[in-house]
Amino acid sequence: MAEEFHVSSLVVHCRREHAGTAAAAIEAMEGLEVHGGIAEGKLVVTLETTSEAAIVERLNAIQVMDGVLAATLVFHHAEPIEPCEAIPGSRTP
Amino acid sequence: MTLSRRDLLKAEAAAAAAMAASIILPAEAQNVARGEELRLKWDKAPCRFCGTGCGVMVGVKDGRVVATHGDMRAEVNRGLNCVKGYFLSKIMYGADRLTRPLMRMRGGRFDKDGELTPVTWDQAFDTMAAHWKRVLREKGPEAVGMFGSGQWTMFEGYAASKLMRAGFRSNNLDPNARHCMASAAVTFIRTFGSDEPMGCYDDFEHADAFVLWGSNMAEMHPILWTRITDRRLSADHVRIHTLSTYEHRTTDLSDAGLVFRPGTDLAILNYIANHIIQSGAVNRDFVQKHVNFRLANTDIGYGLRPDHTLEVRAQHANDAAVSQPADFDAYAKLVGEYTLDRAHEISGVPKPQLEALARLYADPKAKVMSLWTMGFNQHVRGVWANHMVYNIHLLTGKISEPGNGPFSLTGQPSACGTAREVGCFSHRLPADMQVTNPDHRKVMEEIWKLPPGLLPGKVGFHAVQQDRMLKDGKLNAYWIMCNNNLQTAPNTSNETYPGYRNPANLIVCSDPYPTVTAMAADIVLPTAMWVEKEGAYGNAERRTQFWHELVQAPGEARSDLWQVMEFSRRFTTDEVWPAEMLAKAPEYRGKTLYEVLFRNGQVDRFPLSDIAPGYANHESKAFGFYVQKGIWEEYIRCGNGHGHDYAPFDTYHEVRGLRWPVVDGKETRWRYREGYDPYVEKGAGLQFYGNPDKRANIMGAPYEPPAETPDRDFDLWLVTGRVLEHWHSGSMTLRVPELYRAFPGAVLFMHPEDAQARDLRRGQEVRIVSRRGEIRSRVETRGRNHMPRGVVFVPFFDASQLINKVTLDATDPISKQTDYKKCAVKVVAAVDRPVVTPASAPDPRAGLR
Amino acid sequence: MRPRLLLAAMAAACLGAGTLLAQDAPRLRGPEPFTREQPAPPMQRAITNDVRVRRNYPDQPPLIPHAIEGYALDLNANKCMSCHARRFTEQSQAPMISVTHYQDREGNTLGGLAPRRYACLSCHVPQTEARPLVENRFTDMDALAEPERQTGNRGGR
Repeated sequence: MAEEFHVSSLVVHCRREHAGTAAAAIEAMEGLEVHGGIAEGKLVVTLETTSEAAIVERLNAIQVMDGVLAATLVFHHAEPIEPCEAIPGSRTP
Repeated sequence: MTLSRRDLLKAEAAAAAAMAASIILPAEAQNVARGEELRLKWDKAPCRFCGTGCGVMVGVKDGRVVATHGDMRAEVNRGLNCVKGYFLSKIMYGADRLTRPLMRMRGGRFDKDGELTPVTWDQAFDTMAAHWKRVLREKGPEAVGMFGSGQWTMFEGYAASKLMRAGFRSNNLDPNARHCMASAAVTFIRTFGSDEPMGCYDDFEHADAFVLWGSNMAEMHPILWTRITDRRLSADHVRIHTLSTYEHRTTDLSDAGLVFRPGTDLAILNYIANHIIQSGAVNRDFVQKHVNFRLANTDIGYGLRPDHTLEVRAQHANDAAVSQPADFDAYAKLVGEYTLDRAHEISGVPKPQLEALARLYADPKAKVMSLWTMGFNQHVRGVWANHMVYNIHLLTGKISEPGNGPFSLTGQPSACGTAREVGCFSHRLPADMQVTNPDHRKVMEEIWKLPPGLLPGKVGFHAVQQDRMLKDGKLNAYWIMCNNNLQTAPNTSNETYPGYRNPANLIVCSDPYPTVTAMAADIVLPTAMWVEKEGAYGNAERRTQFWHELVQAPGEARSDLWQVMEFSRRFTTDEVWPAEMLAKAPEYRGKTLYEVLFRNGQVDRFPLSDIAPGYANHESKAFGFYVQKGIWEEYIRCGNGHGHDYAPFDTYHEVRGLRWPVVDGKETRWRYREGYDPYVEKGAGLQFYGNPDKRANIMGAPYEPPAETPDRDFDLWLVTGRVLEHWHSGSMTLRVPELYRAFPGAVLFMHPEDAQARDLRRGQEVRIVSRRGEIRSRVETRGRNHMPRGVVFVPFFDASQLINKVTLDATDPISKQTDYKKCAVKVVAAVDRPVVTPASAPDPRAGLR
Repeated sequence: MRPRLLLAAMAAACLGAGTLLAQDAPRLRGPEPFTREQPAPPMQRAITNDVRVRRNYPDQPPLIPHAIEGYALDLNANKCMSCHARRFTEQSQAPMISVTHYQDREGNTLGGLAPRRYACLSCHVPQTEARPLVENRFTDMDALAEPERQTGNRGGR
């Protein structure tokens, strides 16, 4: 099966007082990045994975973290990793 | 995968999440990608297509729309779009966008028989203005007209209405929404005294059953359909009943699909009312308190030309809208004729299906939502059909509460906002006011600061009548904006096209693309579309949604709003108003219509600095004031305090739409119900306050047959309509390659046995012939629609198969909406007419692809 | 009649005639003149090559590169899910439905396809071999971001 690349993003609602620790814990996970929202208690998180299963797995892991109220998937994109894709214009019909 | 693409996706993912959470990311966090230039700017807008009003997030980069997705924060769709909505990014980029005004020229000057030739805006407007002035001078206001649109922004509709009624003193303004939901709009007023649904989309999550009357929601309102299927698949007890004249994707996902003979839904509706009465299911308390009974005039004709035999023969063709007061017993007697046997006999629907449906409506515990679209509205008895479904809900009291209610769906993105609320019909003014009512005209004259008595009180020409009057030479100056009427009007070869080519007439068409209508016009004006201008749409659940101008229109294309206002500069009051009006308002002497209508101290009240930072606004820049805001604040005076309240302008740029009436910043989800609607008096519980006695009308009417029924010569019913992938006659969707390739051309959907009986194979070329005209198409016996014997379906989006050359221009005599669902045709193999050629000659069609 | 020719040529240029691709029928603008009878071109063949098509932007629903004729999509069966549901993708080698499809209207993540996503064909459509009627000048966001840096030449594409 071809290699795939998945980018997705989450909004993680946390108790405000726990937002900082939750963000740190999320950042520690592979392929996850927190972009902001700590002050509001709504973390904006991106995930880079190689399968859907990994997204679900990390989503589940986040949902059971201390202080996390809900983790909602907002965006998901997947595509095969094609080595030649960097050539501009190659996709032009 | 390049690193930059990965970063770009990540940036987009983060931006989408931030948008969903209303978080403003710090600048460095947004720059996940390598540089500032990779960032997309995301803004909200409503979808450009149907009346659902889905929220869309639009991603802009370097002045171009490069991505769109469903808005997570939009209540209507919560992140979903249908396939058309997902491809919105591409609708503005068809390579044949019109970028310069065109005019028919020969020898360097305007000539109706010349070729469409690029000209300047001034040349186009000067030619138009000269013709308009001559027509106004020689024949008066009734000879100028405009065909507008439920796709106009509310600002555009308002400006056009002002120019036509107050400027040219003509009510010959009608929207293409006439073809689409006039029957619904008219019946709302006749029943409740106020247009538009009492309920809203929140009903979807509360209902126990959905009954669809002549609506293929799976294709035509896919996102609302997701809310119904969600409810159906999430709660075991929920049921869907779909009534139609053929089976389709909606019946596929329904618990019951009831296929009836065209036009006989009236008999089924009356049977249900009869069942409710006979089984003791009438909510007597509700009926006593909230309902009046009336009986409609019958034998009302078919809205054809008055000299047509069917009109001459009809007893009440001239007073079709009249009804008489009655009581419960008289109504019960009328519907009493519609027994189960009779309803079955007339409609052809199996009795168990009819009974199950009637029992559902009669069950006091079942919350029922009735939904309908074109099957009901495009109906020679469309007003009656609308009445009859209200009758059922009023008899049982199942109305104006969560999960219970009749709900009219709309086809155009602002059929409600622009055509209905702003008042772009030939009989309407803003906020449900009517042109024939002197008090209403007075209100508008005051708000618009016009001399008393200026507004005309005669109802103007409706859509079909405009075509007839163009043909007859009584309407001579005609501006078509934001629609494709030569493709979508009925009986076009006989009733529409001749008026366009009538030498006495100047036909102007404003459109982003060269449509069938544009190509037949004398002057074509290139138009800015969707997010190329700031706009407002009102959807089917009374939700008003705003958007900003996000990208620039190509070339010299300008918005309809700019076009209307700029054109108004070419007229002075002395040229268009009678002397006695000017005597009443001497200060207006010598002023241009632009000055009187748009520089009136109200529309021009807000400075350019009020425009939100970071957004362009071409109209405002051109005129020197914040046009949209000025129009909005003047417009909302028409309805605020009268049950049609809107929020102030700036609010709508912040929120994902609000459902009117908006009182004290709060929207209204269920009208007429205490606790939800602030207009209901305390302790009253429920009040249909649109009517003076605060009661709704149950209107008794019988089943009457369609205008044309298949016979020996024309032996099939023709039903026309849409497909999922194409909207608005395909003018935008056909230019998106993915949508085009998904459904590239019209076909004739037909029952396999009907095909066999005519010796036709799937894919074979055929002629579809009526008494009006004929077209060629291809037979389709499979696919998404399953026709019963005797009924064929042809979509109208394909300009190479103009099915409206075949349809009949019969309308509902009350709403004047065309019946596109019922006429008689025959289908025969397309053999090229005998040409005398040697047997060995090649097939003349061989060269065609 | 040179001026007339010139005008006609200008009109043609302005109407974008050059950008219209070869068409099997005048599906955009109708016959010329309006009243002329128009033969119906053959119906188009469905694309069934199973080749995934790159999306125009991340949120675009993928197109269906195979035939769906006769697929049941009713209250009892959803044929699409018999290949695209997670548990069938190993044997079918079809792409799994996006995980966004696991979320209900309230944003809760479910164990499988959310009911609101059940009507697959509202968003995912098959394609035919029909050639586009007119070029679409939509620009991929990558094309706007990269060429400058890579080639310093905007006009080359």
